[in-house]
Amino acid sequence: MDQKQRSSFTYPPRNNSPQESFNPNYDYPQFNSQNRTESPYTPSQFFNSQAREWDPHALLSNLSFLEQKIHQMQNIVREMIRTNEGQNCNISELTAQRQLLTTDLTSTIIQLISTAGSFLPTIRTSLLSGNAPIPQLGSSIPSASSAPSPSAYQPNPSPDYEELTKGWGENVVESAGQIQIEDLDVKEGEDVGQDGDTLPIGSYEVLQLEKEEILAPHTHFCTICGKGFKRDANLRMHMRGHGDEYKSPAALAKPAREPGSQPIPVKRYSCPFVGCKRNKEHKNFQPLKTLLCVKNHYKRSHCEKSYTCSRCNTKKFSVLADLKTHEKHCGRDKWLCSCGTTFSRKDKLFGHVALFQGHTPALPSDEVKGKNEEINDKDDSGGVGYNDGDEYLDMKGGYFSPMVNFDSFSFEGLDEFSRTTFDPTENSFSFLRSGSPDFARKGPGN
Amino acid sequence: MCDITAVLTVDLLAQVLDWLHDSRDLKSCRLVSRAFLQAERMHRRAIRALRLGPLPVLLRRYVGSLQSLDLSSCPSLDDSALSLSIPCPNNLRSVSLSRATGVTWRGLEVLASVCPRIEAIDISHCVGFGDREAAAVAKACWLKELRIDKCLNVTDVGLAKVAVGCSRLEKLGIKWCFEISDIGIDLLVKKCLELRELDISYLKVGNESLRSIASLSKLEDLALVGCEYIDDEGLYFLSNGNCSLQSIDISRCENVTSVGLTTLAEGQQRLRKINAGNCSPVLTSTFVSKLCTLGDTLIILKLDKLQLLASALEIVGKNCRNLLEIGLSKCNGVNDEGISWLVEGCTHLSTIDLTCCLLVTDKSLLSIATCCRGVKCLRLESCVLISEKGLDQIASCCTDLKEIDLTDCNVNDNALKCLSRCSELLVLKVGLCSGVSDIGLSFIGTNCSKLLELDLYRCTAITDDGLAAISNGCKRLKKLNLCYCNQISDTGLAHLQLEELSDLELRGMVRITSSGITAMAMGCRSLTQLDLKRCYSIDDAGMWALAQYTENLRQLTISYCTVTGLGLCHILGSLRCLQDVKMVHLSWVSIEGFELALRASCGKLKKVKLLGKLQDVLSSELLQTLQSRGCRIRWVNKPLVFKG
Repeated sequence: MDQKQRSSFTYPPRNNSPQESFNPNYDYPQFNSQNRTESPYTPSQFFNSQAREWDPHALLSNLSFLEQKIHQMQNIVREMIRTNEGQNCNISELTAQRQLLTTDLTSTIIQLISTAGSFLPTIRTSLLSGNAPIPQLGSSIPSASSAPSPSAYQPNPSPDYEELTKGWGENVVESAGQIQIEDLDVKEGEDVGQDGDTLPIGSYEVLQLEKEEILAPHTHFCTICGKGFKRDANLRMHMRGHGDEYKSPAALAKPAREPGSQPIPVKRYSCPFVGCKRNKEHKNFQPLKTLLCVKNHYKRSHCEKSYTCSRCNTKKFSVLADLKTHEKHCGRDKWLCSCGTTFSRKDKLFGHVALFQGHTPALPSDEVKGKNEEINDKDDSGGVGYNDGDEYLDMKGGYFSPMVNFDSFSFEGLDEFSRTTFDPTENSFSFLRSGSPDFARKGPGN
Repeated sequence: MCDITAVLTVDLLAQVLDWLHDSRDLKSCRLVSRAFLQAERMHRRAIRALRLGPLPVLLRRYVGSLQSLDLSSCPSLDDSALSLSIPCPNNLRSVSLSRATGVTWRGLEVLASVCPRIEAIDISHCVGFGDREAAAVAKACWLKELRIDKCLNVTDVGLAKVAVGCSRLEKLGIKWCFEISDIGIDLLVKKCLELRELDISYLKVGNESLRSIASLSKLEDLALVGCEYIDDEGLYFLSNGNCSLQSIDISRCENVTSVGLTTLAEGQQRLRKINAGNCSPVLTSTFVSKLCTLGDTLIILKLDKLQLLASALEIVGKNCRNLLEIGLSKCNGVNDEGISWLVEGCTHLSTIDLTCCLLVTDKSLLSIATCCRGVKCLRLESCVLISEKGLDQIASCCTDLKEIDLTDCNVNDNALKCLSRCSELLVLKVGLCSGVSDIGLSFIGTNCSKLLELDLYRCTAITDDGLAAISNGCKRLKKLNLCYCNQISDTGLAHLQLEELSDLELRGMVRITSSGITAMAMGCRSLTQLDLKRCYSIDDAGMWALAQYTENLRQLTISYCTVTGLGLCHILGSLRCLQDVKMVHLSWVSIEGFELALRASCGKLKKVKLLGKLQDVLSSELLQTLQSRGCRIRWVNKPLVFKG
């Protein structure tokens, strides 16, 4: 069914230049939807290929096509202005021109939406259903006689689509003499794409995105070059580079809601991971607020931590931003807990220690000491249980069992151990120490 | 010879031993027979070691019964010595390692592991100790009592180790651990809910700490001496907290005013002891009137250096009738009227501190004598208006008087004659009273045979005869100060045959020589502290005598003596308990002499005072060794001035 609906669109062949599918001397009144239907490249093919892999060439050719079409419409409008000034036109001819222009603009917009929407996985599904009336629109063009608004062509329009086309129709009618229609269209198109998700049910609507959708890197794409962005604002900034028409305040402005339209229902998101508290099946379901929350939550909780800090080589993150945040103070985290968690601030560490049973702040030189100790233990006394690893384990266990150490403890070992540490001084003073009590030498029998 | 155990069983003997408190008596008892030794062995719970040498034998004798071990006086105590000093197996509950600067965290870790049930550890004044040592101590998880006062390197981390490791702590002293902050205190409070006594004196903590501390429901005793960042707001937290304090010491908290004290007295109605000395000086009547609401519970009140009016004392006297101790040192407003009002109400007073209350006269003494007959301790330093008349009243009424301080009171022999009637007198201080002479001392010597401490600082009228009278009469003297009594000569010193004397100050006695010291040393074998500064005539012979006879000497000051390197080397090498030596301006000792002497005593010394100029000429290797063994060196840069 989709295929059939889309067949009314004409898309340029993927490998051909736009000029091939576009006739510069194209005479507007002779525009025939049949031509498009005969095109070997059906939109469904195009869309299917898009769903599988993203093709910038196709996108570029599509866009070029649209651009030329817009230029064409500009020509028509200029023609209309000229004939208006000449006062030699008849009313019926003018009306017919306006109707044709309206129809053409509508189809341009829809094509534009399709192009943009095909890159938006989240939007695509709803867009497809919203596209249902399009063939009727296309087929109605030749027989169009009086209806100025495209909504008239739609027997069963979805609310969104109706809204779109209505607004668009008004715009076109009011600003028929203006140049910058296409800018407006672009903006409207994006808006619709975003609104396509909404269905006002209850206080908020729960949306659940699929794993693949969540993990898709970008949600906003440049319709010209295809570059992806995480934020629409960034995309709008980027668009400036594509020409002066994108630099107008209207194009740069945040897409405004229709003042008359119904209030946007509150949206909340569900995590697709079953069993997660953020999943809508969970009995204590806690919805996620924004799309960004969904993404970060899913990555942090259900994905592998693939980003490793290059500085400490221990900390791993699944969200790149988390890694970057960490890298800012990696190495400066001098407050270490016995559980291995590091903190940049002492009060945070102490708050952590207060919260968890058995955790203690680690001594700053523990690591260094641990290394030295190992060597010492090998050299001097195996019997004495100085081991920093043990310290951690004991602390985690919540209590310290002295009996274990007690049994394995060896006085001889300790004596030897600590004497070795002092050996240099011991030797240098031995000549004078005869008068003073040398406990270790005389031993317990003294 | 009949066996005494046939008549007197060992456990009966042990009960007898319960009544013996003096170590000498116990020693005599031990020497009676093997049976007595056995009884004493079973009875003894505590050992305080002065030297490491005989310790292993003692430990073998007392193994099993021993619960408390005090090693704080042991010189050259290091990790290996410590590990040998702990009996194995043992039942130790308490170990004191105060000032054991030679011990490191390794030794402490061993201690914690071989004494599984240890409940009390004292490592106070080990100035080098820090977080690692605290962490080692924290492994003793049954610990109930811990003192880490003046372990200067202990930070919040160390405290946190202790707090997490020893959650059963009931008493904790962290005085002078300057690195500890509010964060550490907060964690401590969260982890150690059993705390009953806490000393955070001189810490740089603020009101937030008090907010945390106020949540400790079992806290009874809190010391906040010299916490300069604490003010009335902190006391407000305390007064509204969960704790029901019995004792609080907020002396020297400069930012605490009487507003804070008032709030505290309002909120903490079970307070028994208040020390508010040296706070912000003006004391309003609201605080005093709030004190009255504490009424009968209050037993100790110290208001040193506060501006008090006589009316305030009247209120205290009328309401706090169970007061046992009052401190009014340096309270300018205190006069005879105030004292009489006070003592009329507080008839149970046993300690009255009127140090530097310059307006106090004989009238006050009269009212004290009439109202507080049970007074035991009277401190009247610098009360220049009192005379023998008042003291006569005290002596005749307060027969239980044990301690009196008359330093700088211009009293004379008559006063001593009156006081000599107090046969229970243990402590007498008459320093700077130039009117005191041999006659007065002869009264004391004849009547006050129980005297333990006598201060005759700068009583310049005293001669050899006076000293003879004291030495003959007061045989139990432990502490004697004869500084600057420059009429005393070797003859007088030879009279000093006091077996129990442990602390002797002979500073500035220019006429005494080595022969006097030798005679004294032969008679006073228990000396632990001796000050010979500016005794210019004392030379090596004196050192030989000290080295030979006063084996327990722990602290020695010989600055300005004419000791040579040989004598110094000998005394430092042979005295096995010596830990603290002040030897500034020993002009007869060469650099080599110092080197050798210090090397000879290396490992024992904990504190040395030396002339600053030596810092550069003594070998750095020696100084490093000294320091690594826990010895602190104080370099003094005073000019060489001979005073006579």
